[in-house]
Amino acid sequence: MRYVIIGNSYSGLSCADAIRRFDKTGEITIISDESYKAYARPLISYYLEGKTTDETIWYKDDDYYEKNNYKTLFGKRVISVNTADKKIVLDDNGSIEYDKLFIGTGGAPFVPPIEGFDAESPMMGTFTKFDDAKKMERGAKLAKHKEAIVIGGGLIGLKASEGLRALGMHVTIAELLPRVLGLALDEISGGITAKKLNENGIDTATNDTVTKINVDEAGNPTSVIMKSGRELVADIVIVAIGVRPNVGFLEGSGIKIDRGIIADKTMMTNIKDVYAGGDAIVSYDILNKKPNIIAIVPLACEQGRIAGTNMAGIYREYYGGMGLNSVEIYGLPIITIGLTNPLNPSQTVFIHQEGESIYRKLVFDGQVLVGAILLGDVAGAGILSAIIRQGLKCLTYKDEFLKGNIYSFVIDNEFEVYNINEGYAIRGDFEDLPEFSRSNWR
Amino acid sequence: MEKNMNGIKLTNLKEDLKKNQIEIMLYPAKCDGCEGQEYKSCVKACETHMKEKYGKYNVARINIKSKGNKFFPILCHNCEEAPCVDACMPGARYRDIENGWTLTNYQKCVGCWMCVMVCPFGAIERVGRDHYASKCDGCVDEETPKCVEACKKGALKKIGIKNYSYERRLMIANKLYGPHLKINYNRYKNNNR
Repeated sequence: MRYVIIGNSYSGLSCADAIRRFDKTGEITIISDESYKAYARPLISYYLEGKTTDETIWYKDDDYYEKNNYKTLFGKRVISVNTADKKIVLDDNGSIEYDKLFIGTGGAPFVPPIEGFDAESPMMGTFTKFDDAKKMERGAKLAKHKEAIVIGGGLIGLKASEGLRALGMHVTIAELLPRVLGLALDEISGGITAKKLNENGIDTATNDTVTKINVDEAGNPTSVIMKSGRELVADIVIVAIGVRPNVGFLEGSGIKIDRGIIADKTMMTNIKDVYAGGDAIVSYDILNKKPNIIAIVPLACEQGRIAGTNMAGIYREYYGGMGLNSVEIYGLPIITIGLTNPLNPSQTVFIHQEGESIYRKLVFDGQVLVGAILLGDVAGAGILSAIIRQGLKCLTYKDEFLKGNIYSFVIDNEFEVYNINEGYAIRGDFEDLPEFSRSNWR
Repeated sequence: MEKNMNGIKLTNLKEDLKKNQIEIMLYPAKCDGCEGQEYKSCVKACETHMKEKYGKYNVARINIKSKGNKFFPILCHNCEEAPCVDACMPGARYRDIENGWTLTNYQKCVGCWMCVMVCPFGAIERVGRDHYASKCDGCVDEETPKCVEACKKGALKKIGIKNYSYERRLMIANKLYGPHLKINYNRYKNNNR
């Protein structure tokens, strides 16, 4: 059996591992357009800060590919997929035949038309690849005024700013929404985050964006014109508006695409033997109960594993996922789970705030917890995400949760619901306990 | 016939531990949070051992949470397909095929708290202000996990996978068919501790 995996990151490797678990002899080829072995992509900002280095940024061990007998084709771009003949075409005109194909190409940065922007310039670009981080490291050394503009105040934008700040730049974030992390946070938590950024030398220009970038003869930026009319000096401009599924090369392949690749419960696309997972696909959102693009690491790994298991011939279904994310801004940990901003009046919000160090927000839909923000103190966040994922009724615990006693839910339920006074094992098979069972969690 | 049955004793803990991976079993009802003591024995033992083993990553991996008079040891459940391994961005957390435990490479951990966010048991916590997420490694290279050694109340027990499965089946039967089917722990108590 010849397995081909496009994409050498979270979903692709998780898929390869799942195949290898059941098929020890099949030929697995991993293709990536980057020349590096797999690295921890979200950590490129930590790389600029020096929190991870050239030795520790690699996602897997050095001998990972040899040990698992994976063939690698790095630095090669797939330009098209011929699903009729079951082969893929590479940019060097080579082609590879496959029996089962996995597409885990992830997201490509979205760049809106901005006058003067040129992604190839050494002082401008996006921030999703290791090369981007290295470019910024070089760019920061060349910068004359040590001024940087980051367009987009989402997760990538915030992390890019933190990285640039660590390189000695003064950073301004231009965000079109009224607050940073606008989709995940609310006004109060967004305000606390913005203040934390401002204290550390990152300015936030909310309700504003860059309309034009002025460049010198060499093509490097000198200043930007904001929508509000302000002109800001800029040596470096990063566009971090967001990512879109990287599916351009699938045009004409017959694979169904609606924003992202459409995959069924087994992670197979509408074409037989072609599977997909990760940021490139539209996954089922269990909270909104509709397909949605959820571009986060845990889902990419899960989907990769489900796809790989099915590719190896063992049937397995994917139940869907929900949006959740964790970020730390200058020592302030922030975790957002599920629906953090209520969508309709039936949803109620409970808030607990202790100055600017601790903030907790719970969103209930009737008795059921559907979303939470934990800022400052994140202990027990996983229990909340398990509760939200399973849709457990827990309105009676809202005061405990707001106070931070999230463990009280576990203590009560482990004792009473599961009746475990006799004994309880650490590594367990919880299949007989429906409400906390592993099949629910997975 | 009887002889044969003895020959394949499921509850022979020594044999089980030799052949199979070691698990830690909890009896939360027996935990009293080390009442009257200055510190909790298991937490203290874990912390001391972790200091020896990991140097600066010396936070205790076990935690006793309480509510009223109930105490509950919070400890890694060593999931087969662990959410923390999935969520780990730097790839610091991995599953060791040989000993079956989910382990951590602390050199790679940057403290992004993704694992804290997904652990459904709340077994991964940020302790102090450091930027790493510590998690129980099952004391895989030790004869007996240090917390098990330290617990005087019998709330933690070392157990092999076959014994675990046996106890589990008895427990479920007990749960379903009522209290008349009592598990006799004393029967193999001497082997265990």
